[in-house]
Amino acid sequence: MTAVDGIRVLVADDDPDIRDLVEFKLTQAGYAVQAVGDGLSAWEAFQEQAPSLVILDVMMPGLSGIDVLRKIRESGAATVPVLLLSAKSRDSDVDTGFAVGADDYVIKPFSPRELLHRVNGILARVR
Amino acid sequence: MTGRDLLWASSALVLLACLALVLLIVLTKVTRTVRERRTAELVAPHRPHLLAVASGEDEGGTHRDALIEVDGPARDAVDVVVVDLLGKVRGAPAEELASVLLAHGAVDRAPHDLRDRSTLKRARAAHILGLCHVGAALPLLVQALGDPAPEVRVAATRALGRIGEPTASAALLAAVGADRVVPAGPAADALEGMGVGISGSLRDALSASSPTTRTVAAYLSGEGSFSRSLDALRVALACDDDPTVREAAAVALGRMGRAADVVALLRETGADRPRALRRACAAALGELGEPSAVVGLTALLGDPDPRLAEIAATSLLLLGPAGRSALDSAASNPSVETARALARLQAGAA
Amino acid sequence: MSWDGFVDGLRTGVVWLMDITSVPILVYFAVINLSYLLLIVLASIDFRAQHRRREAVVETFGGALSPGVSLLVPAYNEEMGIVTSVQALLSLRYPRHEVVVVDDGSSDGTFERLRAAFDLVPIPRQIPQDVPVRARIVDVHVPRDGRTRLVLVRKENSGRSEAINVALNAATEPLVAMIDADSILEPDALLRVTQPFADDPIRMVAAGGAIRPVNGSRVVSGRIVKVQMPKPWLARIQVVEYLRAFLLGRTGWSRFGALILISGAFGLFRRDVVVEAGGLDPDSIGEDFELVLRIHRKLHDEKRDYRVGFVPEPVLWTEVPSTLGVLRNQRRRWHRGLWETLWAYRGMVLRPRYGKVGMIALPYYWVFELFAPLLEFFGIIIVPLALVLDVVNIPYAILFLSLAYGLAILVTLSAMAAEEWSFHRHERWRDLGLTLVASVLENIGYRQLTVWWRLEGWWASLRRKKQVWGVMTRTGFGEAGE
Repeated sequence: MTAVDGIRVLVADDDPDIRDLVEFKLTQAGYAVQAVGDGLSAWEAFQEQAPSLVILDVMMPGLSGIDVLRKIRESGAATVPVLLLSAKSRDSDVDTGFAVGADDYVIKPFSPRELLHRVNGILARVR
Repeated sequence: MTGRDLLWASSALVLLACLALVLLIVLTKVTRTVRERRTAELVAPHRPHLLAVASGEDEGGTHRDALIEVDGPARDAVDVVVVDLLGKVRGAPAEELASVLLAHGAVDRAPHDLRDRSTLKRARAAHILGLCHVGAALPLLVQALGDPAPEVRVAATRALGRIGEPTASAALLAAVGADRVVPAGPAADALEGMGVGISGSLRDALSASSPTTRTVAAYLSGEGSFSRSLDALRVALACDDDPTVREAAAVALGRMGRAADVVALLRETGADRPRALRRACAAALGELGEPSAVVGLTALLGDPDPRLAEIAATSLLLLGPAGRSALDSAASNPSVETARALARLQAGAA
Repeated sequence: MSWDGFVDGLRTGVVWLMDITSVPILVYFAVINLSYLLLIVLASIDFRAQHRRREAVVETFGGALSPGVSLLVPAYNEEMGIVTSVQALLSLRYPRHEVVVVDDGSSDGTFERLRAAFDLVPIPRQIPQDVPVRARIVDVHVPRDGRTRLVLVRKENSGRSEAINVALNAATEPLVAMIDADSILEPDALLRVTQPFADDPIRMVAAGGAIRPVNGSRVVSGRIVKVQMPKPWLARIQVVEYLRAFLLGRTGWSRFGALILISGAFGLFRRDVVVEAGGLDPDSIGEDFELVLRIHRKLHDEKRDYRVGFVPEPVLWTEVPSTLGVLRNQRRRWHRGLWETLWAYRGMVLRPRYGKVGMIALPYYWVFELFAPLLEFFGIIIVPLALVLDVVNIPYAILFLSLAYGLAILVTLSAMAAEEWSFHRHERWRDLGLTLVASVLENIGYRQLTVWWRLEGWWASLRRKKQVWGVMTRTGFGEAGE
């Protein structure tokens, strides 16, 4: 557990339940989680906090997860891993997510345990 | 002067009504705010338990037991959140959440609530039965497909999809074309969740009297490659009364047809057929991928409809070497060139 | 004739006029407002239930049967915003949609901006003439990546309607949506508005969505990130106007099964039906209204079972006029379009073969939409005149006006109550308060101005077309004046 202590993860989801759930799960695992409720806040938080990993809901009011992902990939910190968490389950949606530069794609309803494993995996790979 | 009195009375009435409406608006907002706050207050102490259970951090089930213990008005509020969360997580946490509902009696109450006078209650009951996969409730849910309230019909449709029992498929397909209609979109989603067991009802639905039912059946037959539907799809393509059904049948045959279907699809590209059907069939022939379609598609390259010609050219490119050489030896025109250019761009990007 | 004699004569005339008109006008007022109330009740009957259900649909992201959509975007000298708009449209949440931009002979850098942003390359595609178009097509471009679903067609300048018809011809999906390049779509607009088509794939032929003013809200990258009330009262009043109009004018009518107006700023149609109907009429001023009526007439003539739907949630945000001059032009144009279209389709009125559209919706539009400003104008003139001539006393006049405008406010308040009850978009108390104030202020000045502008538009049409229509015009106007 100590291995991940303090690693900053940014979570953006407009659904407070999902937000709390992901925050709870990742905090339990030792991550430092910041959770926001819309795309614009996510983009602002990303610029301020410089997180090590970002989890984005695709469907949010205002800027969508895809919009934010695109902005991140065009920014100075383009290599930060991004995981999309989405109810969009069709192949074409997953394709779009990866085409814009997502590192992983988790479909809702999701398994929090699986999400944690994926987060761990991505971070282990980039370090 | 009575006219004047009338004017006075109606003015006063309108003014009163305006004030009443302002009051109503304010009251609605206040009530909602208060209710939301109260619910949040009721749930707040139990929120850590809810999150622990839903995120699978509940070793030994202590959090779940704490939720089961909840009593009084808080219990209903907690149940609402549990139902919400059930739709958002899957795997072991979902089962744990369902067990809370079961222990609270919400699941046992649901069949009864399905006959309640409140629309909201009926829809919620159907929702819970689906979330908790109560197979025994199948007949009740099928019955709820004919509920007077559309909201309940949709909830029942989704619940049937979640339970995924294919025996409900015939009823669901029929409900799509019934007077108290079940919307086709959710119904198709639910049917997709039922797996291969629906093949028999799909085939039968292709000859149903409602064109909506036939369209849904044709669409799903193609999506899931249900070969038992093949014969009925061929009949639908050739002689259904409804153009939308014929197009859906063409798309489905493109997905899963046999070599023998080339002739039938080509026939529907004839110049006397509706434009949309011709185009759908030309595209379906490419999807089907049978080289025997080459001659027929080549004949379409010079069609006066440039869109049809382009689709035919694109389909030829999908038919392998035979199609490509036919395209090469055909007289060049903008449609053929466009299909080639697009194929090159796609190949370049891949 | 002496001055006193003249005043006496005038007084007698006004008394006579008021005697014969007061009852009919009051009845008219009562009926028009009661009908509004009825439409509101119709609209809100199962508003909430439907709303909840649609939320669920949006959550699960469309469904198996969500049909593909082509977004038709006419662009004329839009170099400033076109790239942002197209990017926003391409990234709408929907499983299957393409963007068809038609550059209507722009003289600015519209094309160059698009070519640079999307790496466009020319293809030799010929656009089919499914709907006949007079203007010459210049060329067709697509993005080099072969994947981004964007098509750009350049054509000679010939106006918005023809540009949309070209886009319609170039479209490849079964549904088409007509969208102005400068408006902002909700990210899930397509999910919501395609839903009636997924639910009833055979019969649904067209669907509209609610439109709201974007003024004052915060926009980032072509997306609304924060909904706010605009600061100027002119725009605030229009917020109230849009709220009311879309809630009752559209939702109520679609529930009733006789929706005849889908706003040109956002409408979703079955492509084949629009093609069969012949596309937009490039010569029409109220081309959106005209198209929907033409579809109604055609499908009724063919005795087809069909539906026109409406989604009450806001799906599109548009910049409303912020100056009186622009607003005046808009309202003149709207009323002119309304008149010319109603006149062109007068043959459908009260004909049983056109069902509820012919028997109820069209007569309603004639009586309560077209003639409303005329009657209101009459009131605006006669009441002050009667006051000056001492035919009525001040309390009576105030009473009369408060009844007339009180009813109008009542309607607005009911719309707000329905909104508050179902969507509660006004999260802040302050915005709610401002809306309430605007609904009252609307009746002081704004209403009277729009009445005048609408009459101006109508009059302009009657005068300019006199030669074309000859005698018929006068008959039409004579009926209107009585």
